[in-house]
Amino acid sequence: MNENKFMTMDPNTGPMEAAIKPLPFKDPNFIHSGIGGAAAGKKNRTWKNLKQILASERALPWQLNDPSYFNIEAPPSFKPAKKYSDISGLPANYTDPQSKLRFSSIEEFAYIRMLPSDVVTGYLALRKATSIVP
Amino acid sequence: MAAAAAGLVFQFRDARWLPDPVLGPSPAVRTPQPVPLVIDNGSFQARAGWACSDPEVPGEPLLRFRSLAARSRGARGGAGTETQVGNDLGSPEPLRWLLRSPFDRNVPVQLELQELLFDHIFQRLGVSSQGCVDHPIVLTEAVCNPLYSRQMMSELLFECYQVPKVSYGVDSMYSFHHNTRQDWPCNSLIVSSGYQCTHVLPVLEGRLDAKNCKRINLGGCQAAVYLQRLLQLKYPGHFAAITLSRMEEILHEHSYIAEDYIEELQKWRSPEYYESNVHKMQLPFSSKLLGTTLTSEEKQERRQQQLRRLQELNARRREEKLQLDQERLDRLLYVQELLEDGQMDQFHKGLVELNMDSAEELQSYIHKLSLAIEQTKQKILQAEVSIEVDVVDSKPETLDLDPLGSEQSLEDVESIHEFEPLFAEEQPDVEKPVTTVEPVFNLAEYHQLFLGTERIRVPEILFQPSLIGEEQAGIAETMQYVLDRYPKEQQALLVQNVFLTGGNTMYPGLKARIQKELLEMRPFQSSFQVHLASNPILDAWYGARDWALEYVNHEEGWITRKDYEEKGGEYLKEHCASNVFVPIRLPKQAPRTTETLAPSKVLAASIGNPCDLA
Repeated sequence: MNENKFMTMDPNTGPMEAAIKPLPFKDPNFIHSGIGGAAAGKKNRTWKNLKQILASERALPWQLNDPSYFNIEAPPSFKPAKKYSDISGLPANYTDPQSKLRFSSIEEFAYIRMLPSDVVTGYLALRKATSIVP
Repeated sequence: MAAAAAGLVFQFRDARWLPDPVLGPSPAVRTPQPVPLVIDNGSFQARAGWACSDPEVPGEPLLRFRSLAARSRGARGGAGTETQVGNDLGSPEPLRWLLRSPFDRNVPVQLELQELLFDHIFQRLGVSSQGCVDHPIVLTEAVCNPLYSRQMMSELLFECYQVPKVSYGVDSMYSFHHNTRQDWPCNSLIVSSGYQCTHVLPVLEGRLDAKNCKRINLGGCQAAVYLQRLLQLKYPGHFAAITLSRMEEILHEHSYIAEDYIEELQKWRSPEYYESNVHKMQLPFSSKLLGTTLTSEEKQERRQQQLRRLQELNARRREEKLQLDQERLDRLLYVQELLEDGQMDQFHKGLVELNMDSAEELQSYIHKLSLAIEQTKQKILQAEVSIEVDVVDSKPETLDLDPLGSEQSLEDVESIHEFEPLFAEEQPDVEKPVTTVEPVFNLAEYHQLFLGTERIRVPEILFQPSLIGEEQAGIAETMQYVLDRYPKEQQALLVQNVFLTGGNTMYPGLKARIQKELLEMRPFQSSFQVHLASNPILDAWYGARDWALEYVNHEEGWITRKDYEEKGGEYLKEHCASNVFVPIRLPKQAPRTTETLAPSKVLAASIGNPCDLA
C-alpha cells in the first residue's frame, strides 16, 4: 500500500494525486518485513494470524515459569455445566430426544417441535452441540 | 395487554459516527520538546491524545474511534480504492463484510491495517513533523504479548514512523495505577474484561505477577455475537435487521448481570415480572414481508382475480388442444375408412403420411386419441362448473399468511410459558383459512424484539462459558484458580483489592455478583473488597498519560531507537505498568525480497539496518 502511494506520482494519473497524498511523517520507502510467507511476492501479502504466531512462539526456548501468551490461557472448568433451556434460558430439566434441544416447560416443547430444522441447528450450534456423535 | 406493553418500548438509536476533524494542536505539544503521544490501542476502540501538562492541551483522548478499516473499491479502473478508518466509516452496517481490524483476538497481527490506524491518528492529531513522528509514543499491548507481535509493532513504529522512543504497557495496569488511591495497598487482583478477552491479573507490590495471570477468551465481542444469534433464531423474519451494532446497543443499555443467576431466572418465570421487565426493542418498520398495505378483503379480491385468470387460461388451452386432437382423429379415421373401403394404395400412402407402419398401430393410436379427447371434454365440463364457485380456501392464501401467522403464534407460544394460555384461543383463529376479516394484527408488535431473559443470559457467559459451549472456566472459577496458586497470606492481600476495569465490566450488577462469588469462595468471615474503576473505558488512557507525564524524561521504561537496533524489536523495557520481559531473541524477519528464515531456536540475528529497500 505504501508503494501505491508513491507510484501514483506520475502526471498521467492526475486525479489520483489529490486523493492519496503522501503523509509527511512517514518514511516513504518502508516495507513491512512481516509480509510475505515462503513465496514472498507482490501478491502474497499475508500476515501470520494469531494461531501461526503462537505456533512459532511455542518453539522458542521458554523457561518453566516464563509467562507467555499461550501459558496464561485459563484452564477448563472443573465444575459440571448447568443446563439451561435453549429457548428461554430458564433452567432446563428436559431434553428433546429428536432434536437434542433443552426445554423447561410444555409450551417450549410444543414450540421446539414446530421449529424448522435450520433454526434447530442454529440453537445447537450456539451451544456447540452439533456433533453427529450419537 | 397493549396498554401495559406501551410502557417499555425502546428505539434503537442507530447512531452514525461523526468523522474526526483534523485537529491543529497547540504549539505547546512541540515546545520545549515534543510531548508523548498516548495511544490506547484496543481491539474495540483506539484512543489517542497528548500527554502534556500544559493547560491548553486537553487531558483527554482527542480521538476515539473503532479499530476498523474498510477498503472499498471505488471506480471501475481498479484505481480509486478508498480506505476509510474508524469514524470516517459513518456506520459499520452497510460495510459490515468489508470491515477489517488489525486485531486477532487482542493481539495486532495485520500490521498493514495497524499502519492505517496510525496514519489516521497521526493525521487527525495534527502531527506535522516531516519524515518522522517526533513524539515519543506510549502504546498499550496485550498481556504477555507474543514477541513476534511486539517485534512487528516496534518495526512499524521505528522504521516507518521513525519514532524517537516507545513505551509499551498493559492497559489494565495503567488503569489500576490511575485509580490507586493513597490508602489502597499495591497488591490487587485485577479483573479486566475487554472486547475480546477477560484477564485475571494478580498484582504484587505494584508489579504484574505475570506467570500467574489467566486469560479467558470471552468478552464483549462474543457476547454481541451470542445475542445476535439468539435474536436471529427467535425472530427469523428480522434476520437482516438484527445487526451487531444494535446488539452492542442492547448490551450497553439493556443488559445487566444477575447477582444470583438461578434466582433471577426464577423471577423471570412469572408472567407479571416478565410483563413489567421485558424490554421491547422497536425495529424500524419494513414493508418487505407484508408486501403492500392492502387490507385483507382487497387481498382476497386480488387472489380471486388471479385464480379466475388462471382458470380461463387453462380452459382456453384445453379447448385448443381438444380441437387439435379432434382434427387429428378425423384424419386417422379417414385413413381407416380407406382401409375398410379397400383402397389399399391410398391407405398405405395415408399411413406413410401419418408416419405409421401398420393398421394395428393406426387402430391403437385412434383408440388412445379418442380417450384423450374424452378426458379433455370432461375436464372442460368440470372447469366450467367450478368457475362459478368462489374459491376461498386456496393454497396461496394460507402460504402467505403462515409466515405472519406463525410469527405471531411463535411469539405467543414463547410468552405462553409466562402467561396463562389465553392466547391458545387466538392461535387456531389465525391458522384457519380466512373468509372473514383477519384478527387484528399488531404491526408495531411484529416489529419489536422482546428481550426477556436475554438481558441476563448474555452477560452471564462471562461467568458460565458453557452457555456458548466454551470449555474454559468463568471469571469466578478462574479467580479462585489464580488465588489458589498463592499462599494464604498473599491470597488475603490480593483479595483486599479486587479491581474491575475494562469496557465489558460496565454491566450493572457486576460488582454485586463478584462480591457474591468471592463470598462463596473465600474462607468463612474473611474480608475482601471489590472496587470498580472510575471510568472503566478511558482509565487505561488516563493511566498511560499519567505515566507518560511522570516518566517522560526518565530512562526507565522507554525503548529508544538505539535499543531497537541493538536488541531487536521484541525488546521490552519493564516499568510499573508493563509486561514482564522474557529475554528471548527472535530471528529478524527477512525483508520481502528475500526468503524468510526458519525461526526455531534463539540466536541474535543481524544487527544494523534492517530491510533492503528497493
